[in-house]
Amino acid sequence: MAKIQLENVKKAFGKVQALDGITLEVKDKEFFVLFGPAGAGKTTILNCIAGIMMPEEGVIKFDDQVMNLIDSAHRNVAMVFENYALYPQMTVYDNMASALRSKLYRKDESEIKERIQWAARIMKMENLLERLPSQLSNGQKQRVAMGRALVRTPNVFLMDEPLAHLDAKLRNAMRTELKEMQANLGSTCIYVTHDFMEAMALGDRIAIIKEGKIVQIGNGDEIYYMPCNEFTAQLMGDPEINIIDADISGSEDGYSAGFRVKGEKVTYALPKDAGVYTKIRELNLTRADIGIRPQHVKYSFEPKEGYFKATVYSYESIGNKSVIVVDCGDDANSQLRMIAPNGLSIAIDSDIYIHLEMEHAILFGSDTKEYIVRYDEANYIALAASQEEK
Amino acid sequence: MKNRRGLNILMNILLILYAVFALFPILWMVLISFKSDTEVFTTTFVFNPTLANYREVLLRSDYIRYIRDSVIVAGGAVLVSIIVGVPAAYALARYNFPRKEELAFQILSYKFAPEILVVLPLFMIYQKLGLYDSYVGLIWVYQLISLPLLIWVVRGYFEDISVEIEYAAQVDGYSWYQIFFKMLVPLIKPGLVSSALLAFIFAWNCFTFPLILSSNKVYPVTVAIMKYLGTDSAHYGQLAVASTVSALPAMIFALCIQKHLVRGLSFGAVKG
Repeated sequence: MAKIQLENVKKAFGKVQALDGITLEVKDKEFFVLFGPAGAGKTTILNCIAGIMMPEEGVIKFDDQVMNLIDSAHRNVAMVFENYALYPQMTVYDNMASALRSKLYRKDESEIKERIQWAARIMKMENLLERLPSQLSNGQKQRVAMGRALVRTPNVFLMDEPLAHLDAKLRNAMRTELKEMQANLGSTCIYVTHDFMEAMALGDRIAIIKEGKIVQIGNGDEIYYMPCNEFTAQLMGDPEINIIDADISGSEDGYSAGFRVKGEKVTYALPKDAGVYTKIRELNLTRADIGIRPQHVKYSFEPKEGYFKATVYSYESIGNKSVIVVDCGDDANSQLRMIAPNGLSIAIDSDIYIHLEMEHAILFGSDTKEYIVRYDEANYIALAASQEEK
Repeated sequence: MKNRRGLNILMNILLILYAVFALFPILWMVLISFKSDTEVFTTTFVFNPTLANYREVLLRSDYIRYIRDSVIVAGGAVLVSIIVGVPAAYALARYNFPRKEELAFQILSYKFAPEILVVLPLFMIYQKLGLYDSYVGLIWVYQLISLPLLIWVVRGYFEDISVEIEYAAQVDGYSWYQIFFKMLVPLIKPGLVSSALLAFIFAWNCFTFPLILSSNKVYPVTVAIMKYLGTDSAHYGQLAVASTVSALPAMIFALCIQKHLVRGLSFGAVKG
């Protein structure tokens, strides 16, 4: 197992800059998640670490040893490919044995058998070992691809969306299994996903990637509670965070935020919070984007004190709860999302009254879209730090 | 139900008619090979079968040598095509280089040229280069027939293999050559075998090139058959024997690999 470092790694495909100066350090035995939208360059990072692709610039180190000129066979990495990349002419067993039968990583057949049976048991596919890849479903192929990596003892496991094609139940089970396994094996693991639940659940630390650049690195709590910009805030969380463009007015005795709902101005007093008030004063803020998570938006069907009127746009169940989307204006940007219980009888376009819990708000710069401050910041910093220690 | 049965019978009758139509020339050729010269022109099926033609052709002429020349030339051509064509197909499938498609089309276009058109200039060039009437010369010119076919079929197979399979094998600790022979060759085998056999049959049947580009030292059987059309008299019986025997390898190959041939040429490498 090893520590993996990337320093200013750049890679271009023709005119497209796939990686634009990636610098990161994955600690030994860490479960590191690369998270970002499609096409952000996550897979390219894995390919560079595996030695499948050569970066044009930058250094890749394993345990402080520069690996740029070492070919992928000699890097001793195990990789799970998103499209499985199983050898079609070999049975599942032979697929899994392939690395252990190569000249570089050879083991004797009895040990190979033992390891494959161990991996097959974990991946719940003991009955598939004699089959050919063409006789497997996509979920089964993915498990074989995982198994092929697990039988090895590499410097690092590189996993490219290994759970993406599993059905939901198996995916959840595998997620738990995977985390536990990684802890037991004491292995370094770099894991690519675009599912934020997976990222939060698995990652010791998460790197947010966008257009070939790292946006933020931190543990799950840090990224969820203190996203460094609106992009990260929107990626982490489902339903997506609400972002409201607001005017800030008032004095140190009491700031308030004003924004328009259906052409009418709504003003909210910003609760007192030392950190928030200091930032507003220091930066002399007159405008800010206020981010509020859907669980901190309250609703009522009767007019209430501190609630403003909006209309229901949609009401959808997402399993054990539902999401209400309401219109506060005419375009999609002025929609608010909130969590509600299932089974309400809500008519589309009916009136609804909304309250924002400002004491959970995150403030972003209205031009820069960067994180400024959030309520209770000190607490969340402490929470993130305690995560780190674990 | 009744209708289907009627249709079936009709289909079978049509197929039998077609089979008779397609096989009759071969049957006629085989019949002639057992006839004596005096009976060649009888159109009834009644005659005194004789093996004299076979004795004459197989034992008293150089026929075995002609067959051997054909085997050397056609086999050599296919061998060279495999050695040259498989790497070329891999490069065309995997690497991006300027004018790749033009090059691929250029290779295919060799098959477009009418043989009779290019053979005369080739004759002059071969005379000058000393390739005239040599194995090397014929094997070389046969590449026009076998190489494009092989490259295009095998290229398709390589393109069907996802590049991640090669990556996975690299990560598993294999060198490029090991990957090529262990992972890729088994996957392209159906295409390679069927296109190589087809190329062999085409090369075996080739007539124009050996007719012009070889004479005494190298005598493929297609050209040699003409010898039995003697200057004074035509020995149709012996001609039929020579034709029948020379057609045998192609027919046997075609029958043996019929299934694989169609599958190999029409299916990709990786079917999920």
